[in-house]
Amino acid sequence: MAYTEAKIRDLVDGTIDQDTLHQMLSMPKDQERFEIYLEILQEQVPWDDRIILPLGPKLFIVQRAEDKKWVIRSWAGHDFCDWTENWKLHAKVRVRDTPEAMEKLYPKLMAPSTGWQVIREYFCPLSGDLLDVEAPTPWYPVIHDFEPDIDTFYRDWLGLEVPERA
Amino acid sequence: MTQTARNARSVQVLGIDAGGTMTDTFFVDADGDFVVGKAQTTPANEAQGLLESSREGLEHWGLTLEDALRNIQTGVYSGTAMLNRVVQRKGLRVGLIVNAGMEDFHRMGRAIQAYLGFAYEDRIHINTHYYDDPLVPRDLTRGVAERIDMMGTVVIPLNEDTARTAARELIAEDVEGIVISLLHSYKNPTHERRVRDIVEDEVKASGKPIPVFASTDYYPVRKETHRTNTTVLEAYAAEPSRQTLHGISGAFKDHGSKFDFRVMATHGGTISWKAKELARTIVSGPIGGVIGAKYLGEKLGYRNIACSDIGGTSFDVALITQGELTIRNDPDMARLVLSLPLVAMDSVGAGAGSFVRLDPYTKAIKLGPDSAGYRVGVCWAESGIDTVSISDCHVVLGYLNPDNFLGGQVKLDRQRAWDAIKVQVADPLGMSVEDAAAGVIELLDAELRDYMRSMISGKGYSPGSFTCFSYGGAGPVHTYGYTEGLGFEDVIVPAWAAGFSAFGCAAADFEYRYDKSLDINIDTDAHEADKASQAEVLQAAWDELTERVLEEFERNGYAADKVELQPGFRMQYRGQLNDLEIESPIASAGGADDWDRLVSAFNDTYGRVYAASARSPELGYSVTGAIMRGTVPIPKPKIPEEPLHDATPPREARTGTRQFYRKGRWVEAQLYRMETLLPGNQIVGPAIIESDATTFVVPDGFETWLDEHRLFHLKEL
Repeated sequence: MAYTEAKIRDLVDGTIDQDTLHQMLSMPKDQERFEIYLEILQEQVPWDDRIILPLGPKLFIVQRAEDKKWVIRSWAGHDFCDWTENWKLHAKVRVRDTPEAMEKLYPKLMAPSTGWQVIREYFCPLSGDLLDVEAPTPWYPVIHDFEPDIDTFYRDWLGLEVPERA
Repeated sequence: MTQTARNARSVQVLGIDAGGTMTDTFFVDADGDFVVGKAQTTPANEAQGLLESSREGLEHWGLTLEDALRNIQTGVYSGTAMLNRVVQRKGLRVGLIVNAGMEDFHRMGRAIQAYLGFAYEDRIHINTHYYDDPLVPRDLTRGVAERIDMMGTVVIPLNEDTARTAARELIAEDVEGIVISLLHSYKNPTHERRVRDIVEDEVKASGKPIPVFASTDYYPVRKETHRTNTTVLEAYAAEPSRQTLHGISGAFKDHGSKFDFRVMATHGGTISWKAKELARTIVSGPIGGVIGAKYLGEKLGYRNIACSDIGGTSFDVALITQGELTIRNDPDMARLVLSLPLVAMDSVGAGAGSFVRLDPYTKAIKLGPDSAGYRVGVCWAESGIDTVSISDCHVVLGYLNPDNFLGGQVKLDRQRAWDAIKVQVADPLGMSVEDAAAGVIELLDAELRDYMRSMISGKGYSPGSFTCFSYGGAGPVHTYGYTEGLGFEDVIVPAWAAGFSAFGCAAADFEYRYDKSLDINIDTDAHEADKASQAEVLQAAWDELTERVLEEFERNGYAADKVELQPGFRMQYRGQLNDLEIESPIASAGGADDWDRLVSAFNDTYGRVYAASARSPELGYSVTGAIMRGTVPIPKPKIPEEPLHDATPPREARTGTRQFYRKGRWVEAQLYRMETLLPGNQIVGPAIIESDATTFVVPDGFETWLDEHRLFHLKEL
């Protein structure tokens, strides 16, 4: 099942019609979707370095053009760290760990007790874009969300050549 | 179907089934002879496809549309226009008045509405679930202060000012209809009626022609979301459909017809397009076939029938047990839960147009759930379809005649289908095209057969006590496949299978049915006085419903004395979960004796439907609802009765042979012209019996004979 580039663009933009979305969710994944998806993202981001894998709406693993190093980069262009590291350790963070801070988000008495749960918000230092939120117990280490095996994904799942990596 | 006396023919009845793919018309003449017309559905202007289909059908009789329409006394329509309007959420702008504090319940809906109509895989795949926009947006919803509890007791009196304000605000928004649905109004309608009167006053004062719909006037049944959705549909979707039906009626009148169309309704009767409750015509097509099977069963003595219908997009199964349909009270449609009495039917999304794909990882063949619908498949070059469909496999394997699809109206290209199956299915599987296509057909047959088996055994029956009726345009192609090995008592394919739903519509009663929820609870050995007082509660509900039924008939010019009334009720053993719908053995209920007769009618039915030993009268009885049905006599199609002939088919019925592939080999199948076969003829497979509108496949290992009512009986050898 193949979709037109226009449909995948709608998917990226969040304007896709329900029927097609349902079909995409229910049917086996279309083989060429990933490449088209990346092409569309590549057009939209304000830099030219090659996107290897999107990590979130405004966060990517990219191949830096100047040195072919794979780094984690925000939409606004901030490079956090090497792609294998936890980028959150290099981000701006706001921790909501008092009732007052929680009540900016929730009505009184409807927020988690901060002795049990805190909210950590991670921002892009360049643009202030909110890139991720985690809600662990207060003592819990910063969560390393996703450690993708990109080589296997490209080579074995998609049948693509793994891009150069310095 | 005889071709004699064609000019003297007087056409009496017209049945129409405007499906998603094909529009079928079914004409019956004064002798009970009939003819089927078929044309592709024209969604933009339904009348066009209808007229085309009629012309096509009447051509077989050598009649023009104008000649035929002049004499027709009754025309019944069933179609998908209203359903499509609701599915696409393209209805009118409606305002909704509910209890203050409850304004969000319609928007939130019921959780089940997030996945209604989904395939099983998707139901358990939560990511696919989603909520539709509500029929009435939040900003057109207003609350009034009042509360009635579930016993019908007023807890908070109605604050009339809030009702007046709500009405004025909605009127100022220029809504095209106002729906009122208050909590527990089925139990105590006083507040809701008062709000209705206030809203009507305000509408009148505004001078705007806004119709007002109170749920208690339409669907006084429990379950808030069901009742509200259904009443909203009256305002949202039924009014535009009235216009469509008016247009269709007009198009036929332009060609000389003198009758008023009736519409097939969910409860299995037909109602006028002028009816007050038109929302219940939202689905009607598949019901037609069930009513047709019931009618044939009544006339010919089949008591237990498994009705099966394959169209382009779905496979529908319904059971008739001891001559009775099952009615479901809270069906769902278009992803909405509703309060309509609906002839119970189960469907799977597998039909002749279903797409065939390979899972790219497992290489498993997957059928549907989407389908080519009226666009047939790759084999129809103009369809624009490039995914293989079941029909493509049929064409390749010789099941279908590519030059005579719909009597040659659509030319199919076998080579196109062959090439597509090769590239998409056969090559990736490393199989020959024949084997791949045959595998697809076997898979479909197995899916349908398992489904049929589970449907019947899941309800506690055995196929051995059922006669299977197979109809629908594609039904007879697959009849052998989905009945093989199930051990049905008999398998019947009507010669007019393609128009069977339309036939059923023509055979349906002109019937209005109204329902009301009740909460009667009583011990088995209750005191006489208690029984009498409960009987009176039931009678009061019947009186209320009778009034509505008579009002509907009056709209169509039938006086009360012409209407035959049949009261009914829903009863269960106290504390059990499922009730049964019972036809009342008495016309009215008053004393304790009457109550006992109702109870024994229930006990009898329960023993018949389940088992006598499962009856539990010690629990006491609950009546959950009252039902009133009213009918007036109308002309119905006669079932043909022709003299029997030899077992050998006449020479002119043989139209040649075709290569036919099944179970790994090509065989030479004898072709027959369905219309030329005579009652009594017996045919041993491999044979393919063709008519313009349907193809009946009798593979090797099967035989069929045509009886005096033009019903084919299929038998495994």
